[in-house]
Amino acid sequence: MMAIEAYEHHGAGAAGHHAPPRRPTGLRRFTAAGWLRVAWVTPLSFGLATAIVEGARAGLGTPTSWHNQNTFQTLLVAWYVMVPLGFLIALGAFDYWFYWISGRPTRPEDHSSHGARSWKDYFRVNTDHKVIGIQYVCTTFFFAMISGLLALFMRAELARPGMQFVDNNQFNGFFSVHASVMIFLFIVPVFAGLGNFVIPLMIGAPDMAFPRLNALSFWLLPIGGLIMLSSYLIPGGAFSAGWTNYVPLAVVQPDGNLAFQMGVQWAGASSIVTALNFLVTIITMRAPGMTFWRMPLLVWANFATSTLVVLATPFIAGSQFFIMFDRVLHTNFFNPGNGGYAIGYQHIFWFYSHPAVYIMILPGFGIISEVIAVHARKPIFGYRLMALSLMGILILGFSVWAHHMFVSGMQPWLRIPMMATTLLIAVPTGIKVFSWLATLWEGRIHFRTPMLWAVGFISMFVLGGLSGIYLGSVPIDQHASDTYYIVAHIHYVLFGGSVFTIFAGIYHWFPKMTGRMYNERLGKLHFWTTLIAFNVTFFPMHWLGLQGMPRRVSDYAPRFADWNMVISIASFALGASTLIFLYNMIVSWRSGEPAPSNPWRALTIEWLVSSPPPVFNFDEIPQVVGSPYEYGVKGARHAVMGGERADVQEPHKVGSH
Amino acid sequence: MLVIGVLAGLATAAVAYFIPWLPDQGAKEAVQIDNVYWVATIICIVIFGIVAGVTIYSVFKFRARPDDEEDGAPIHGHTGLEIFWTAVPTALVTAISVYSGVVLVGNEKVQKNHGVVEVTAQQFAWSFTYPDEGITTGELVVPIGRQVELKMTSKDVIHSFWVPEWRLKQDVVPGVTTRLLVTPNKLGTYDVICTELCGLGHAAMRARARVVEPAEYAKWVQDVKAARAQGGTAQGKELFTSAGCGGCHTLADAGTSGQVGPSLDQALKGKDAAFVRQSIVDPNAVIAQGYQPNVMPQDFGSTLSKAQIDGLVEYLLKATGGGG
Repeated sequence: MMAIEAYEHHGAGAAGHHAPPRRPTGLRRFTAAGWLRVAWVTPLSFGLATAIVEGARAGLGTPTSWHNQNTFQTLLVAWYVMVPLGFLIALGAFDYWFYWISGRPTRPEDHSSHGARSWKDYFRVNTDHKVIGIQYVCTTFFFAMISGLLALFMRAELARPGMQFVDNNQFNGFFSVHASVMIFLFIVPVFAGLGNFVIPLMIGAPDMAFPRLNALSFWLLPIGGLIMLSSYLIPGGAFSAGWTNYVPLAVVQPDGNLAFQMGVQWAGASSIVTALNFLVTIITMRAPGMTFWRMPLLVWANFATSTLVVLATPFIAGSQFFIMFDRVLHTNFFNPGNGGYAIGYQHIFWFYSHPAVYIMILPGFGIISEVIAVHARKPIFGYRLMALSLMGILILGFSVWAHHMFVSGMQPWLRIPMMATTLLIAVPTGIKVFSWLATLWEGRIHFRTPMLWAVGFISMFVLGGLSGIYLGSVPIDQHASDTYYIVAHIHYVLFGGSVFTIFAGIYHWFPKMTGRMYNERLGKLHFWTTLIAFNVTFFPMHWLGLQGMPRRVSDYAPRFADWNMVISIASFALGASTLIFLYNMIVSWRSGEPAPSNPWRALTIEWLVSSPPPVFNFDEIPQVVGSPYEYGVKGARHAVMGGERADVQEPHKVGSH
Repeated sequence: MLVIGVLAGLATAAVAYFIPWLPDQGAKEAVQIDNVYWVATIICIVIFGIVAGVTIYSVFKFRARPDDEEDGAPIHGHTGLEIFWTAVPTALVTAISVYSGVVLVGNEKVQKNHGVVEVTAQQFAWSFTYPDEGITTGELVVPIGRQVELKMTSKDVIHSFWVPEWRLKQDVVPGVTTRLLVTPNKLGTYDVICTELCGLGHAAMRARARVVEPAEYAKWVQDVKAARAQGGTAQGKELFTSAGCGGCHTLADAGTSGQVGPSLDQALKGKDAAFVRQSIVDPNAVIAQGYQPNVMPQDFGSTLSKAQIDGLVEYLLKATGGGG
């Protein structure tokens, strides 16, 4: 509601309402929401957590021994719960609700926390979806760089057989933290960031449905990431049971494993809250005239993704709580010695983590549909089937989890039905690929950087999808499972797939987000260096795996030495290619050419407003009058602004029933 | 367009054909699994050929000049084509499913007169018990041509049993007995590789699988029993290889060259019996420089009998020239 009211205010031209709030002065600065309050409340909540645990222990007559793993864990859990809560409260994420609960006057109308006037506004609780989108993208790339660096450490160790730089504990920590941070802190949330910026604009809404919840969901995210990285400070080293954290290994590991369990809770909460926000926004806040069949495919994709997140993410939260209980409270959910069932963990884990694969690729499918239609100047081929295949993947996605467990020792009968559904999911995916190709056909293709990434994505993702067919077949999976073939497969779908779409999306909307153009030559250089280095890094891994190199090993047979050296060198080139991207983004954001409102001559609504868009997005409500992809149709419009509404006839009845 | 599609397909097929993608076939099951692999490969090459062909053709044919303001042809879809590319992949993946299912069921058919080996995994070693022969060893020895059922369980965390040449893999789970059926049909020595992350020593958790003629198998069983009965250094030498010591440790006398743990030729040189015994039953007591604790199993004191440990100590002292 608040967003709607804000919208009308803005429409009335009440610019004075959006002046920066008065800054508190004197001691008040320490009690007002912000970093000064964080500076004293966070240590206080650390002390409070310690006092509660130690007080309870003293009361029970079992004070904490700092060297005893069993008792130190309790403190860690208390810290990982209370310190982030204290931080969020101090930063002001809950101020509005606290005011409301306690009956003090809330400040719904001054929009003091909306929009960004200086860089400082990106470092506070900000309710503007455009600011939050950029906060998400920058934060997730920060974590991606750290975890990419961990991957390079791994490749340095693996360049030659034998042990050179690190020991097994450090090595196992590298791949565990690398995968966890890439998945939970980069790929899943970066799509939430791009969606946050683009979706409200695309559907003609002034903001997300719940702006304060949106701000909270962003600030939950870095907490999850910092907790995971904090495991490096815990005695025994970082968590090192892989991102899958299989039991019983996860239960017998040093305390750093708790950082994974608790980090996942915060990052998962962030995902769930954002997904709910997307669902409500997409269902209730579309501009007049935007029927479901007139929604751009990115909106469809975020709708499907958000449904997956809401339904699946609680399962991983549960699975990690169970491990935490097994460790800290000595329950026996998974302890085979006391009636627990170790494989049960894998069922719960994959019931989230397989849908998570689609959470990490469906928004990318949406981005690719937008980019290809705009830069090939063609309507999306088979729009309705494209939307329906997203929903098909959503439904099938819940029926395939056990294909990660073909050799796990689970109930044998489950393998053949899961193989059938797994292979069937290739059908909706294939529909999307063939429809993109048909969209290119007879187009007028402009090979700007986003389009290069989109076209590169198709081939790379198809390679990843095809290696998935092999893994979906039980007999082949018996050989290829848990080998470097898997490492190749997941990097083709997550890097060649998801990350390529992320780059496509960032280049495509960069002018809209920053108001400046990126450097096209550097963009192209970034694409070609990444494409080549990516393939040299990951393609030989198929061969290594089939030949007998297992995954997650710090050492390997000498006969694999040559290819591992090639892979390591290419992986460093891949890392270097990312520096080109960072340089381009930073320099272009500071001093790129000013961007026009619609540099790609696109039809969707976000391109009808200025770059960057005004704080409340639209001065007047857009009216949707047709399909979003009517390229080549004379006089066709997707949306018009209020004033010109009367002049436009609906040119193409795509959504007429 | 077709030409480019065919060329892309041929190029991929050449890569598929000339690179030895799969290791040697060492079991009857491997032949069947490889057939599924190649069927899937043919289908995938065709699909990738089409995708790459259309992409490359479009990139060159439909490229617009930067100043071109025209739009492409306003084609919204084609119901026939859409049905086609829904139906054909459905048929293809269903075919792969059915074929895979048939192969799986065939491979898991239990033959009469199959042998049984009980496999026990622990951090970071394998042991193999032959219930019919009443012996336990650290290497897997099976006669050629006879189906063998591996009944597997773990003492601690999840491990996974894999012999690449057999194409078969099965997790080994605590609290559960998992099964793997294999019919080795090629003589040789193969690596047993742990493929499920099991902790610090995961990368080093290996054993040997030997496929031998039935007569040689019978002789091997007799030799193991004889060495056990004889005791002393003969038993010790037999144990050194069978308990898996050589997988991690180099010992010239036994002809092993493992690199994971310290070389015993150096680490035990000039040490006395008490030190050797302690290093076996309590390996964390003294850790050689450059190595980590908790990698070597710590329960040899309970899994080996006192006589076995005595034999092992005696043998190690002799082999490394120590005394005392």
